[in-house]
Amino acid sequence: MKKSLLDYTLKIRLPLMLFVIAASFVITFYVSRAERDGVGYAPEQPIKFSHKLHAGQMAIDCQYCHVGVEKGRHAIVPSVNTCMNCHAVARKNKPEIIKLTQYYEEGKPLPWKRVHKVPDYAYFNHSVHVNAGITCESCHGNVQEMDVIEQVKPFTMTACLDCHRNPEEQLPYLENVKKGPDNCAACHR
Amino acid sequence: MSKTKNDKNFWKSLKEYYNDPDVLKSKSNEFADGVTEDFNPSELSPISRRNFLALLTASAAFTATACSDYQDKGEIIAYNKRPEGIIPGKPNFYASTCTGCSNNCGVLVKTREGRPIKLDGNPDNPINKGKICATGEASILNLYDPDRLSGAHKNRRKVDWKSIDSEIIDILNKAVSDGKEIALITKTVTSPTYKNLLTELKTKYKTLKIYSYEMFDDLNKRNAWEKSYGSRNYPSLKLDEANIILSLESDFLGKEGNYIEAARKYAGKRDVMQSIEFNRLYVVEGMMSLTGMNADYRFRLRPDYQKDFVLSLITEITNKNGKSLYSKSYSGKDFCTKYGFDQEKYSTLVQDLLNNQGKSIVLAGNSLSEETHILVNYLNDVLENSALYDNNSINNELIKNSSKADWKELESKIKNKTVSVVINAEANPVFDLSASFINEVETKISLVDSENETSSVSNYVLPINHALESWGDYNSRSNLISLQQPVINPIFDTRQKENIILTWVNGHSEAYSDDAYHQYLKNSFKENVYSRLNTPAAFDRFWFASLHDGAVQLNNETSANQFNYSAVSDIKVENKNNSEYLVHLQKSYYIGDGKFAGNGWLQEMPHPVTKVAWDNFAAVSPLTAKSLDVEMNDLVEVTTDGKNVKLPVIVQPGMADNLIAVELGYGREVISDSGKNTGTNANILLNGKGYFFDVNVSKADGTYKLASTQEHHSLDDTFVKDFHRKRKIIQEGTVKEYQKDNRFLDKYKYENFDITKGPEYTGLKWGMAIDLNKCLSCGTCVTACNVENNVPVVGKDQVLTGREMQWIRLDRYYSGTPEEPIVSNQPMLCQHCDNAPCENVCPVNATNHSTDGLNQMAYNRCVGTRYCANNCPYKVRRFNFYNFRDHFANAYYQNDVSALAHNPEVTVRSRGVMEKCTFCVQRIMEAREDAIRENKPLTGDMVTTACQQACPTDAIVFGDSNDKNSKLYKYRNHELGYHVLEVLNVRPNVTYLAKLRNTHSEEV
Repeated sequence: MKKSLLDYTLKIRLPLMLFVIAASFVITFYVSRAERDGVGYAPEQPIKFSHKLHAGQMAIDCQYCHVGVEKGRHAIVPSVNTCMNCHAVARKNKPEIIKLTQYYEEGKPLPWKRVHKVPDYAYFNHSVHVNAGITCESCHGNVQEMDVIEQVKPFTMTACLDCHRNPEEQLPYLENVKKGPDNCAACHR
Repeated sequence: MSKTKNDKNFWKSLKEYYNDPDVLKSKSNEFADGVTEDFNPSELSPISRRNFLALLTASAAFTATACSDYQDKGEIIAYNKRPEGIIPGKPNFYASTCTGCSNNCGVLVKTREGRPIKLDGNPDNPINKGKICATGEASILNLYDPDRLSGAHKNRRKVDWKSIDSEIIDILNKAVSDGKEIALITKTVTSPTYKNLLTELKTKYKTLKIYSYEMFDDLNKRNAWEKSYGSRNYPSLKLDEANIILSLESDFLGKEGNYIEAARKYAGKRDVMQSIEFNRLYVVEGMMSLTGMNADYRFRLRPDYQKDFVLSLITEITNKNGKSLYSKSYSGKDFCTKYGFDQEKYSTLVQDLLNNQGKSIVLAGNSLSEETHILVNYLNDVLENSALYDNNSINNELIKNSSKADWKELESKIKNKTVSVVINAEANPVFDLSASFINEVETKISLVDSENETSSVSNYVLPINHALESWGDYNSRSNLISLQQPVINPIFDTRQKENIILTWVNGHSEAYSDDAYHQYLKNSFKENVYSRLNTPAAFDRFWFASLHDGAVQLNNETSANQFNYSAVSDIKVENKNNSEYLVHLQKSYYIGDGKFAGNGWLQEMPHPVTKVAWDNFAAVSPLTAKSLDVEMNDLVEVTTDGKNVKLPVIVQPGMADNLIAVELGYGREVISDSGKNTGTNANILLNGKGYFFDVNVSKADGTYKLASTQEHHSLDDTFVKDFHRKRKIIQEGTVKEYQKDNRFLDKYKYENFDITKGPEYTGLKWGMAIDLNKCLSCGTCVTACNVENNVPVVGKDQVLTGREMQWIRLDRYYSGTPEEPIVSNQPMLCQHCDNAPCENVCPVNATNHSTDGLNQMAYNRCVGTRYCANNCPYKVRRFNFYNFRDHFANAYYQNDVSALAHNPEVTVRSRGVMEKCTFCVQRIMEAREDAIRENKPLTGDMVTTACQQACPTDAIVFGDSNDKNSKLYKYRNHELGYHVLEVLNVRPNVTYLAKLRNTHSEEV
């Protein structure tokens, strides 16, 4: 039987094309995944603040600055006056501290770049997690080692549910850990 | 052709030079050999240009996606200096006072990160005890009204405050030196410090005269009280001790007096969980009112016949209890024959009043004449009902409201040019009193929050603070001073009304400071309250403690006076024989006297009886409609004194014949876009003859479409008649029936069975119960829900197409005859069914069930097929046909200021998603958060839904239906409990407690 152009298209070109499309999609999907989820995002901040120095070397408790995290939804970015508790005295002449003092004295808001974000239709609550004994590192990574804060875990619904459904695997340090709620209204309302 | 080599000066090749024939031939061809020959595709590169470009683009796109930079997540702007006591994400609460009307209920303001988002009653207030009305709940929207004025204006031009203040002070001084009157018009004054301030203003500017008014005042009641008891301040009532309540044209549960307090006390004696010794409510009225809907016995009577009715009652009662001090007799029999009353019902009433002497109360409506009020006072005295007067809590009158004569005088003074300045202090006389004569005054100064009819004709317009931005003290009841404190800095360039006046009192514009009135108030409080209380606490401590509590209780008990019998001696039977039409002008339930006409939430609240939103109307009885030859939406023309108004008709079952009931407050002309074209201005009919008077009524041409959220099912159509009873949507009984057989509802119970095994709820399971004995259908739950859950305003055009978004619908059903209907009410909200029919049909699983029994709705998953709403037997799902914030009134509520009113804990839904009651899941999650923090289990009583919190009668109970000790469990398993449409086996989680009517019969 004579080979027609249609045969060629159907048997070779079409599968080839589909394969190329699928492959490039899959590759792109996985390659870009981290960035889509924001993993590795480490924006430059208006003041070069180092968590490695403060939380790591000096071992200041997270909640000294991120107050209210055990009481409410937000683990707020500390207000400038919290920094000034120490820096009104400590290292006053360093350029970054001079910048900070300027913000404080002028009463100007400090535009801190947001690193971690859940979509606004998801109502994440810090206090319920912190009060259940989950450490900050479990989601935010080893902050004590970071000079510039970077997102290390994806903040996707899958990531949330992985932990909510299998907390013993994800949070092995917690004893008698209970499953988190996995109904819609737990986060969406 | 050949050429010699010499001919050529230029040559390209030797071949050409020698005139090679090949060259000559090629020269005659445009293209070289082979260039234009047909090419063979198989010899070309397999990738065409098109493919190449496509591949290039695709790879560029993929690379771009793969290698693009991270998405920017914006910034977090932290506090520079964090205020103490604010934790972002946690609400703060402040006690304050509502100034929506002169009841001055104590409120608790919920603020988030410094902005107020919800008003609720202050539980520490002894009068309103944690509840406020629907208007109060929704008044938060007025704070964020984008149409509020900003900056002082002179002749429509912005001028700075300082120069405008000095200008006004000069004008005032000039008026005094010229001997011209300064007329200050204000609403009823209930604040003692404001009163002091006005007195000081009067001292400073000698020719100043204060005119105060209230559209629907209690002047007749006060005058009558003065004549009966010698004091203008009448006591509040111990309604919670009354066995028999007879209301004469008094909507005391809906809009008269402090109806929040009255509703609580009334419903307190309708609690099946406590006792079934119910009170019995008799209502005699013309228009079907909210109180009338809840009556056990209701009589139809035009308001102008009320006097005769009271006289006949007095005769009947004094004849029987032998306390006849009143010689004129007008027997009940005569009255019943004349006005077609049911004799039997009438004698039941008389007997009940006689059997409950000292334990009953007769209430007269504020619109009734002074004489009728005196008669009612006398009747109560004869029945020894003065025992129910609460002399510890007296309705104060700080400044006597101006009488009709005072207004007439002002008008003539203005006509005679002896008034040179009119100051409009947060009032609107041009609309309310049709006082357009103030236009003739030289200087008109308006202190208003947004433009109204009076400010639009004023030379000076000074914008004032909202109540939530103001300081104040209120003393509308003798035993309480309720304090008001600002919870937010003024959003716009406004000043507090009292502070502006204080600057004028001080006499120079430099005297102004933002804190001036605060200090003034504090000093006045120190002098007048603190010094009298003999408290050991230092003043500052006491002041802050009082601000914290929101109120200071005083002990001002007065002894009761004796009834002055001479007051009744001249009152005669009117024996009015009138076939004319009577119009009764009434207060609107939600927008008050028009003050809240710009508030979309309140405009969209369906009228509790007729269910009409966005409009006022002329309500007539079915018989009157027939004689006028009109139907719903037809227009009638009401004429009196040469003034006429055209109004659309509502045929209202249960109304007195030849009566037209019209609500005022509608038809505002100078108002924000949200209140434009709503209703008709019927204020112009007011003629100083009270609130009801004879009019001419005729059918007018044309129709006007009213937006009603619930149609009248015609009562005589056999197909739909009583369908709510046939389908057991409403299950009712009487107290007698219940006493005889407390399980009388069991005959309606339906044994459902499942062919599959449903999920089991072992842990906490949320449920709600609504006690229909207590529910009055006042609508407070609806507005509270609107505020809590960011429910949008949709506008009249959308209500007409049935697209209202309120999550709670107050269903109203009639049974019986159109003349004497029985009304049943039922709040209908998402029933959170265990076998929810909506869940099965969702193609994307956006609605499903949680393990704690909630029918949850994930908005970001919903694609808007609306199958769920189709399949819901209760019709409680609401679809966003538009982004309503964008769609309503030229995107009136789509702006940065109005957005601040949103509850940050609830998603603001956009176009194309379905929504419905969530059982306030945000509050459940908040309670859960607290439970986790305090390391204790979450229990049902830790959650209060917004509707439950707001319900003035505590008819709503919410909690864990699996907890056998919970209140909800008792309600759910009460013998009066039933589910709506039980036969469908959807297993709802909202239990209704059947209403028991306290009649003398065993049948409804």
